Amino acid sequence: MAGSGHAPLREDLEVLLTVRDLEVEFPVGKGAVVHAVSGISFDVAEGETLGIVGESGCGKSTVAKSIIRLNDIKGGTVDYQGNDLAQLEGEDLRSLRPDLQMIFQDPISSLNPRRKIRQVISEGLAVWGDEKGSWSQSRIEELMLSVGIDPKFGDRRPHQFSGGQCQRIGIARALALDPKVLICDEPVSALDVSVQAQVLNLLEDMKKRYGLTLLFISHDLSVVKNVSDRIIVMYLGKACEIGNANELYENPRHPYTRALLAAIPEPAPTVDVSEGDISGELPSPINPPVGCRFNTRCSHATDVCFTDEPEMQRVGDSDHYLACHHPVAVSINGQQAV
Amino acid sequence: MAQVSAANTQLLVRDLTVRFPTTRGTVQAVNGVTFDLAKGASLGIVGESGSGKSVTAKTLMNLLPRTAEVSGDVIFEGEDVRRLALQGREHFWGVKMTMVFQDPMTSLNPVKKCGEQIAETLRYHLKRDKKTALAEAEDLLAQVGIPEPGKRVNQYPHELSGGLRQRVVIAMALACEPSLLIADEPTTAVDVTVQKHLLDLLDKLREDRGMSMILITHDLGVARGRCDEIAVMYAGRLVERSAPETLFSDSRHPYTDALLRSIPRIEQPSHTRLEPIPGRPPELINPPEQCAYAPRCRFAQADCLESIPDISGVAGMHEFACFHPANTDRGREALASNLASGRTATGLEISSAGASS
Repeated sequence: MAGSGHAPLREDLEVLLTVRDLEVEFPVGKGAVVHAVSGISFDVAEGETLGIVGESGCGKSTVAKSIIRLNDIKGGTVDYQGNDLAQLEGEDLRSLRPDLQMIFQDPISSLNPRRKIRQVISEGLAVWGDEKGSWSQSRIEELMLSVGIDPKFGDRRPHQFSGGQCQRIGIARALALDPKVLICDEPVSALDVSVQAQVLNLLEDMKKRYGLTLLFISHDLSVVKNVSDRIIVMYLGKACEIGNANELYENPRHPYTRALLAAIPEPAPTVDVSEGDISGELPSPINPPVGCRFNTRCSHATDVCFTDEPEMQRVGDSDHYLACHHPVAVSINGQQAV
Repeated sequence: MAQVSAANTQLLVRDLTVRFPTTRGTVQAVNGVTFDLAKGASLGIVGESGSGKSVTAKTLMNLLPRTAEVSGDVIFEGEDVRRLALQGREHFWGVKMTMVFQDPMTSLNPVKKCGEQIAETLRYHLKRDKKTALAEAEDLLAQVGIPEPGKRVNQYPHELSGGLRQRVVIAMALACEPSLLIADEPTTAVDVTVQKHLLDLLDKLREDRGMSMILITHDLGVARGRCDEIAVMYAGRLVERSAPETLFSDSRHPYTDALLRSIPRIEQPSHTRLEPIPGRPPELINPPEQCAYAPRCRFAQADCLESIPDISGVAGMHEFACFHPANTDRGREALASNLASGRTATGLEISSAGASS
């Protein structure tokens, strides 16, 4: 699996963010390093929602954090409106920060428990001001209203709100600086199912209202499909399959994508998950397998998978890219597709 | 679904009620829960956090804090479980009835080797000597599908992945050959691929050993594929109980109905608008004497605010606790009149967008 290569990068679109050959490593002592992200390339068009799925430890959160430079980048570029975020330092980096905001997984621990939520939401504005360089309480009230929190609760503290409400407050805080890109790292996985739909709908509304571009990370394949235009499937620091959300779920070609879809407790009849059985455990990212990183668990693996790393290649002429030596053939209504 | 008769009933729970006194008032965690479990059957208890599903499980396992006020009957293979607790029968729990918890890392002792932890159960309950117990532990690890069990018995929990750790916990629960296994969100902390393997394992073990299982989960999809029967809990009450297929195709309680509609489904195209459930789960301290779901319910009528609906219907087939059940004429009438006035009896504003049948 798992490939490098720039095939999935699009040139014809209004691309807002382009990540090329991103590499992130974390030292773990005694000279060993965790190869968290190893050469991943993708882009996000303006107004698009890009979903990233994969098991824990596949590097999806590291990708997100690298984009806003919450961790060091070892190699590659992150191009945002002509600036390489991987190289920027100091004031140059700081001045771009309002454009890229993030929402975190645990809504309660990501809010300072000692602050009133009005202060939590306004902190970014207190540093930056809005477009005019200043800000007013009415701006905070407008933000609170737009995420569905009654402004009269502005003087309450995070513990007085439920998990779903805290996530709304987190979203209001992220939106305060009028960002272009909103990075959502598992924003609904800590929420109850009945509240999850509220937050997902809110994100869709905010995206339309403020013209946001979203990077949405989740391990829940149904949630990712619901919010995304395009999806990347990651495995052990590499991308295995990238494509249009509907296309990818209808014609999964990578054995790993199939395995993920087959593992859903309630597989949908419209999704072909034959040959999607995997065994074993995720190998250590300290010593990732040579060749295709999925070779230890793949039932299709042959000699070539243990020596050569597959490159990302386009599937047919749709928006669908794949890094696999032996992609699973898709049969549609009995006919073998290419 | 297995018909429950006196002969093959494993577990009988009648009118189970659990209260926790707190400084803010009494938390009514479980309110009159009644169900049966046939031998070898599996029951899924589904609900959101705070619905009382874990408290129900902990009551069965005698794991509640001393302050809890419990009433109702729990009869296991003819024995009164709550009396056993008073008699201090410690070789009942962990032997006949065992439990697997959500987070394998916190349910294992981090400074003890995996093998020793399983052996400990055997030595304490079944009085095995150290050597036999360790050999049995290794055998159990093999049974739960852990590769190289001989090596794993001497490893510490932190040396194992999350999936393997949960297998160790399952091995520990199975050590004394229980006849009922309660699994409380056993796969919530693991990835979807590992989840599948663990659920397959539980299915296989249940079949091989003729064991019954109560699977507690917030994921309706998990319960659907793995259980003979599903019980939905809301605010400490059972609100609906039926075979999975009936529940999914012909749900009666508006909460079940709304829950099924609010979950993103993999077969829907992307950007399908979800139908969220408005509001949030109710407070369990001094709840009003009304249907607990009424404030969030699209079907709510005046009578929903006057009393609490009892669970009724054909026992063992399809039971629900609602005055105006979804997918029935009575429900359709209630919804139509609410839609016409734009609001429900509790004042919840509703519109026809996403109208349910």
